Amino acid sequence: MSGKMRILASLIVIAIVAVALGVFIIRGPGPLDFAGGKKVALADYRAGKPTGVPAKLEKASLIERGEYLAKAADCMVCHTKPGEKDYSGGLAFKLPFGTLYSTNITPDKDTGIGNYSDQDFLNAVQHGKRNDGARLYPAMPYTSYTFMTDEDVLAVKAYLFSLPAVRAKAPDNTLSFPFNQRWAMIFWSAVFNPDTRFAPDTSKSPEWNRGAYLAEALAHCGECHTPRNLGFALDNRKKFGGAITAGWRAFNISSDKATGLGNWRDEDLISYLSLGHAPGHGSASGPMGEAVDHSFSQFAPEDISSIVAYLRSVPPVPSPDLPATTAPAAPASHRDGVTADARGKKVFASACASCHGWSGESPVSPMATLTGTWAVNDPAATNVAQIVISGTKRHTPDGALPMPAFGNAYTDDEIAAVANYVTARFGTKGSKLTAKDVAELRQQTAE
Amino acid sequence: MHMATVLTINGETKSFDAPPDMPLLWVLRDILGMTGTKFGCGIAQCGACTVHVDGKAVRSCVLPVSAVENRTITTIEHVGSTPAGAKVQKAWLEAEVVQCGYCQSGQIMSAAALLAATPNPDDSDIDAAMAGNICRCGTYVRIREAIKQAATGRQS
Repeated sequence: MSGKMRILASLIVIAIVAVALGVFIIRGPGPLDFAGGKKVALADYRAGKPTGVPAKLEKASLIERGEYLAKAADCMVCHTKPGEKDYSGGLAFKLPFGTLYSTNITPDKDTGIGNYSDQDFLNAVQHGKRNDGARLYPAMPYTSYTFMTDEDVLAVKAYLFSLPAVRAKAPDNTLSFPFNQRWAMIFWSAVFNPDTRFAPDTSKSPEWNRGAYLAEALAHCGECHTPRNLGFALDNRKKFGGAITAGWRAFNISSDKATGLGNWRDEDLISYLSLGHAPGHGSASGPMGEAVDHSFSQFAPEDISSIVAYLRSVPPVPSPDLPATTAPAAPASHRDGVTADARGKKVFASACASCHGWSGESPVSPMATLTGTWAVNDPAATNVAQIVISGTKRHTPDGALPMPAFGNAYTDDEIAAVANYVTARFGTKGSKLTAKDVAELRQQTAE
Repeated sequence: MHMATVLTINGETKSFDAPPDMPLLWVLRDILGMTGTKFGCGIAQCGACTVHVDGKAVRSCVLPVSAVENRTITTIEHVGSTPAGAKVQKAWLEAEVVQCGYCQSGQIMSAAALLAATPNPDDSDIDAAMAGNICRCGTYVRIREAIKQAATGRQS
């Protein structure tokens, strides 16, 4: 080899090593690597059954089991446009680089997945590959669903194929270059899709393993609650540390005592997941509200407990922008407490005070209590503004107090003012939202 | 079909069938025939539907009936029998507050709750308590006057 060739070869080797190192560093750990115990193949795990349906459905039909799993994986929320038929697709995902539309997954042969074989369906759900060979964008969380067993994925297929076929074609995506190059997802997928089925951890309890399967393979908690890395994949170094998704803040659900779930009691976590509300912690709204309505509220109680056991084990990741403790109740009189933002106070007096009270502890229903919630203690006020814009309504328990949407009644300026007032009065630090910020938040959630 | 719902309204026990998420306002008007409380906007923004729950002024149009079981409910039909409500109604007549009248049940309920909690309200207290009650006729000046009159017992 000549000197020049040798230099060239060395440069190529260096480049390959650099890329591999870069990929390794960006990719970081997998979602379950933190557990650290010995992993065994599912078939070799005897201590319990982490996959499939809960015991009461063990004898149910394939379709019924598929229904439970489809709800646990929360397929419907993304694959249904509000007001349209279930699973018929068309929901818009507004991303910084354009809009993606979810697909029709009813068994319609032309516009849905009616022509999918079992292998086609497995390819889509576990590998991110359409039956025409095109790659899926990771808005479809196949990097989570890849942990599902073939059996569970095919049960979901059986359920979907039992539903009425709906003819509905989703609008074309409007992604900008280079994001409109689907083929590039081959490389994304090669780096970021673990493409492996769930492997139980023998150092953990059967309950933990069930919780891990539910949270990672099905409920895909990390897709909203884990921050993303340079490649827009989940950065599991900060697993469950919280992130902004679809214009809402998904708060820290790691075991951090101050800013995560470390100080939540088991019964509060159970109540929040299964009913969408926990005393002193507020109500699930926005995307989490939908997750509760369509997914968690349908879980068997033992499955909710398993998820709680699993969440407890996720290492603490602090959220440095949140206060160490949430603020106590504000004074009962409008005169005391913060005086900042006179306009915000006016809006609060006319639109908010009758349900939320001046102290933040609702005279009407614990569901409307602001005291203690992260939303009002977040100095960015993201979720306060979003709830004001779009309102919130839980379906559990019966007669849950709804909040009307004020997005059409108030200007961006007024919504910024009231969010700043609310965070200053009921939280630890007032936000500094502007009308422009509110306009952007509206953009991110506009359907 | 539904379990009977039991509410304490104006000191009386009322039992009826209603879905748990039916707004209290609908129960009052459509089931119990108590039409003094008005429907305005339906989204807790105008105050016409204001009633008292445990003495606090709340909007009944968004309040699911199941949320107020075991609570004390007072409506415009009965507020005159509370000390603050009686003062407010008297002042309202003396000051000739009412024009078309549609919002006035709610105005009186909010004013009565204000006086029960803050016997001598100043302008800022009145603003904070009454801002959620809208009057299309613009009787705000007379409302403010009547609240002060009810508090002091004097005509200004």
